Amino acid sequence: MSGDHIHPEPTSFLKKHVFSVDHKVIAKQFLWFGLIWLLVGGVMAMMIRWQLANPGSPVPVIGGLLFPRTGGVIDPASYNMLFTMHGTIMIFLGLTPVLIGAFGNWCIPLMIGARDMIFPLLNMLSFWTVALGGAVGFYSLFVPLGATEAGWTGYPTLSTTVGTQGDGETLWAVAVFLIGASSIMGGINYITTIIRLRAPGMKWSDMPLTVWGLFFTAVLNVLFLPVIGSAMLLLIMDRVFGTSFYVPASIMSGASGGDPILYQHLFWIFGHPEVYILILPAWGIVADLLSFFARKPAFGYKVTVGAMFAVTVLSAVVYGHHMFTTGMYAMLGESFMLLTMIISVPGEILFFNWLHTIWRGSLRLTTSMLFALGVIFVFGLGGLTGLYLATISTDIFLHDTYFVVGHFHLTMAASALFGAFGATYFFFPKMFGRMMSEKLGKLHFWLTIVPLTVVFCTMFISGYGGMPRRYYDHTSADYLVPLQHLNTITTHSAFLLGAAQLIFAWNFIRSRWWGPKASDNPWEVGTLDWQMPTPVPHYNFKEIPVVKTGPHEFSHPKLGDRDWIPQTEELPA
Amino acid sequence: MTTLAMDTPREDPRSRANATLGMIFFIGSWSMAFGTLFLSFLILRERVGTWPPPGIVLPSFPMATVATLVLLGSSVAVHAAVKRGRADAGGFAGLWALGTVLGVAFAALQSWLWFDLLAAGSGPQAGTYESLFFGLTWVHAAHVVVALLALLWIQLGIRTGRYGAHRISTVQNTAMFWHFMDVVWVVLYLGFFVF
Amino acid sequence: MNALRSLFSFPTKAVAAVLATPLALGLLSAGATAQDVAKRWGPTDPASTFGEDFQYLFWLITTLVSVSFAIVCVLLLIPVLRDRAKPGKKAHYDHGSSLHDKRFTAVVSLIVFVVLDAWVLVVAMKDLREGYWNIPAPDDEKTYKVEVLAQQWAWNFRATGADGEFGTADDILSTNTLVVPKDRPVSLNLTSKDVIHAFFLPDMRVKRDANPGAVNIAWFQPVVDGEFDILCAELCGYAHYQMHGKLQVLEKGVFDEWEQEASRLAVAAHDAEDTEAHWAWEWQE
Ligand SMILES: [Cu+2]
Ligand SMILES: [Cu+2]
Repeated sequence: MSGDHIHPEPTSFLKKHVFSVDHKVIAKQFLWFGLIWLLVGGVMAMMIRWQLANPGSPVPVIGGLLFPRTGGVIDPASYNMLFTMHGTIMIFLGLTPVLIGAFGNWCIPLMIGARDMIFPLLNMLSFWTVALGGAVGFYSLFVPLGATEAGWTGYPTLSTTVGTQGDGETLWAVAVFLIGASSIMGGINYITTIIRLRAPGMKWSDMPLTVWGLFFTAVLNVLFLPVIGSAMLLLIMDRVFGTSFYVPASIMSGASGGDPILYQHLFWIFGHPEVYILILPAWGIVADLLSFFARKPAFGYKVTVGAMFAVTVLSAVVYGHHMFTTGMYAMLGESFMLLTMIISVPGEILFFNWLHTIWRGSLRLTTSMLFALGVIFVFGLGGLTGLYLATISTDIFLHDTYFVVGHFHLTMAASALFGAFGATYFFFPKMFGRMMSEKLGKLHFWLTIVPLTVVFCTMFISGYGGMPRRYYDHTSADYLVPLQHLNTITTHSAFLLGAAQLIFAWNFIRSRWWGPKASDNPWEVGTLDWQMPTPVPHYNFKEIPVVKTGPHEFSHPKLGDRDWIPQTEELPA
Repeated sequence: MTTLAMDTPREDPRSRANATLGMIFFIGSWSMAFGTLFLSFLILRERVGTWPPPGIVLPSFPMATVATLVLLGSSVAVHAAVKRGRADAGGFAGLWALGTVLGVAFAALQSWLWFDLLAAGSGPQAGTYESLFFGLTWVHAAHVVVALLALLWIQLGIRTGRYGAHRISTVQNTAMFWHFMDVVWVVLYLGFFVF
Repeated sequence: MNALRSLFSFPTKAVAAVLATPLALGLLSAGATAQDVAKRWGPTDPASTFGEDFQYLFWLITTLVSVSFAIVCVLLLIPVLRDRAKPGKKAHYDHGSSLHDKRFTAVVSLIVFVVLDAWVLVVAMKDLREGYWNIPAPDDEKTYKVEVLAQQWAWNFRATGADGEFGTADDILSTNTLVVPKDRPVSLNLTSKDVIHAFFLPDMRVKRDANPGAVNIAWFQPVVDGEFDILCAELCGYAHYQMHGKLQVLEKGVFDEWEQEASRLAVAAHDAEDTEAHWAWEWQE
C-alpha cells in the first residue's frame, strides 16, 4: 500500500496529472498552486502600498477593472479586505503550499530513499483539501459585501457579526479550517513516512537537515493546526448559530457571556508555532544548501538538529508576546517575556552553526547559495528586531505599529520566501529536468534583497515613529502626517521588489519548457535524491538504496579529486 | 488512508504497523482539537462563575447518563469484536454489529438531548452554558457520524469477507477512533454533568 | 513572437522593461504626494514619565542589536569574499562535532544571551515595576481617574467631576477630547461597546486594548502640557484609521478651573431620561 511496492504508472491523463497519488506530481501541484497564490497575494501587496503612498488616488492600470464603482480608487472597506486577504493568502495559500506542500513532498521520499509517501491517497487528499480551501477563500471575494475585513488574525468581536456582516468572514473561517485540515493530513504523512520509510542504513543522523526541518514542521502542524481548526469552528458557530463563545455581554449589564480574549489565546497558541511551521523547512533547506555549496560538512549537525528541536518545543509556550496590551496578568506577561528571550538561544545557535559551516569552505555562489546566505541576512535582521517586541516595555509602544509589520515580514515572510527561492533554484533541475538561468537568478536575487531590506527597514522607522498598521490613510491624523514620506520610500522599494519577482516568474516559465537539459547531479551533492536519473522514474528507486554515509561528506581529505561522495558509498578508511 | 490496500489480499505486518502509527498520530492531532474545545469550556465556565448558571434549562442528566453507558457498552463490544477478529474466532461480526447498534443508539439519545432542550425553549443562542453544550456536542457528534459510517462500512466488509484476520488494520484503526470518540464523550459528560 | 525571442536572448532588455514599470509608478506616486510638510524619522519627544525609560531602552536594544547584526554581517562577508571556490582548493573538512566545538557553541550562546537578552530583561523588569505596572493608588487625591468607553469609531470619556464619584450628575463627559492635568497620574479604565480597540497615546508612550466585556487598566503621567493625538491601534473596522481624538494636558491652575466649570456645566446638562449617556461602571483596579 505504501511506498514499499512498485505500482505501474497510471496512463490516463486524469490519474497521472490531476488525481495523482505520486508524491512528485503532488509536489509540483503544490508548487504551481502556491506560486500562483503568491502572485495574487503579491499583487494585493502592491495595491496596499499604492494606497498608502497615494491615499485616495486611483490605482493605475488595474484600478478601473477592480474598483469600478469608485473609479479605480481603493475605498476603506476594500483596503481592509486587501490586507486581510493578503495575509491569509501569503501564509496559508502561498508559503505553506510551496515550502511544506511542494518541497516536503518532493524532498522527503527522495532524500530518505522511499518510493512514495507512506499514505499516498492521504497525500492526494491533502492537496485537494487545500485546493478546496483556496477555492472557498477565492469565492468569498465575490459574495455580497465581499471578503472579510477583520484582518488575517480575525479577532472577535470584529470577526463576529458584531463587527462584520455578510458571508465573507464565515467563508474565510471555513477556508482556514480546510487549509488546516490539509496541513494536518500532510503532517501525519510526513512524520510517519520519515519514521517508517527511511532506506536501510539511514540513521536519524544521516538525514539531510532539510528532512529534519520538515519533520519538526510536520510535528507542529499535527499539534497546532487542530487548535486553530477548533477556534475557527467556535467562530463559525458564533456567526452562524448565534452562540456566544467570543461575544461578551456588556460590562454594564453584569452578565458574562463569551470571551473575545479566549480567541486570542487560541489563535496565538497556533499562531506562534505557525511562524516556526513556515521557518523550520526554510532553516533546514538553508542549512543543507550552505553545506552543499560551501563544499563543507554542516557544522555541528547534531547541535543544529537539537536547536531546531528546542525551537519546536519552546514555540508552544511563548505565544503570549502577541498579547502584551490585552491586559494579561503582570506575572504571566513577565513569564512570556522571559520565555521569548529564551527561545532566541537556539536561534543564535543556528546562526552560529551556519556561519561556521561557510567559514573556510570553498564557496560556489550559485543562486541557491545566494538565497541561503540571504536568509542569514534577512533572518538576522528580523530575528534581532524581535527583541524589541519580546520586551514588554518597548512592545507597549511598538505593538500594532509598522515595526511589527517589518519584523514579521522579515522573519516569517522574507526568510521563508528566500528559503523557498533557494530551494526552487536548487531542486528545479531534478523536478523539471531543466536548468534555470543562473544569470537571471542572480539578478533576481540582488533586485530582491536590496529593495526588500529598504522596504522593511523603512517600516521599522515608521513603526518607531508610532505609525499604526492597518490604517487606510496615515495622513488622516496630525501625528502621522510627518511620517508620510516614509510610506513613499517603502512603496517605491516595494514596487521594485514586486517587479523583480517577474524576473523569477519569467525565469521559471522559460526554464520549465525551454531551459537547457539538466544532468543527473548538476550540483555534485551526495544526498539520495541527486543519485537517481533525471527525470526521476515513476517509482523513484528501482532498488531501495543502502545508506552508508552522512549527507554532508564534502572535501574529505581521502576523497581525491572528487570533493563529494554519494550517501550510498562508504567513506574511504 | 488504509483503503488503498484493496488489491493486496493479505496485509504484511509492516504496513499494518504503518497504518496503526498513522492512526496514533491522527488521534494525537485530534486530541489537540478536542483539547482546545475543552480548554475553551474551562475558561468560559470560570468566567461565568456559578456553574451551571442559575435559572436555565439543563440537559437531562439521567438521559445523558444512559447515553454514556450505551456508548461505553458500544466501545466494549467493538473492543471484544476486534479481539475475536484478530484471533479469527467466532463472534466477530456479531459483536461488531452490537457495537454499531449501540453506537446508533447513542446518536439517537444524543439527538433526544438536543431536541428536549430545544422543546423547552433553550438553544445554542440562549447563553454561555447552552453555547458550550450545543457547540461541543455538535463537534463530537459530527465525528460520531463519520465514525458510525466507518463502523457500518466495516460491518459490510466483514459480511463480504473483505475484513477479517487477514486484513485487520482498518478494523483496528476504526475501533481505535471509536474508542477515542468514547473518551471525548466521557470528558464532556464529566464536564457538563459531574463536576 | 520576434519580440518574445529578443527578450529570450537578451535578458537585460526584459529586465529593463520590468524595472521601468515600478520606476514610472514610483515617479507617479512621488508626484501625487509631493507635500511640503515637516518630516520626522521617529516619534515625537516623550511627554510622559514613561518617555525617558522607553527612549533609553529602545536605544539600548538598538545598540546591542546593531552590534550583533554587524558581527553577523562581517562573519558572512569574510567567507564570501575570502573562501570562494578556486581550482585545486579544497574546503576545510570539519564536522564541528567535537566536544571542544560544542563547548565553544555553548559558551558563545551563553554570552550572547547574557549580553543581548538578560541585560534587556533586567532593565525592562525595572521599568515595568516602576512604570507601566506601578498603577497609582485610586484613593490618592492626586490620581485623576477617567473611564474610557470605546466604540466604532469614537472615544467616550467620563471623569468623576467635583464629587469624585462615577455615575453621578456632575460626571464630565466628552467624546474624542480628553482633558487631563499635567504632573498628576492619570488612571484609565478602558472597555468597548462593540469590537476591540486600542487606546494609543504615542507622545505618552502608552497603549492599551479596550476589550468589550472586560475592563482594562492603564495609566500615565504627563510632564508636558499641550495638545496630543489619541489614536486607535487595533483594527476595528471601516473607519479604524479615522478613530482619533485629542488629549489636552493643562497646567495645574488652568486644569482646576476647567474641571470646576466642566463639572458645573455637566450638572446643568444632565438629563435623567437619557439612559444611553449613563454608562459608568464601578471603578476597577
Ligand atoms: Cu510569536
Ligand atoms: Cu478603534
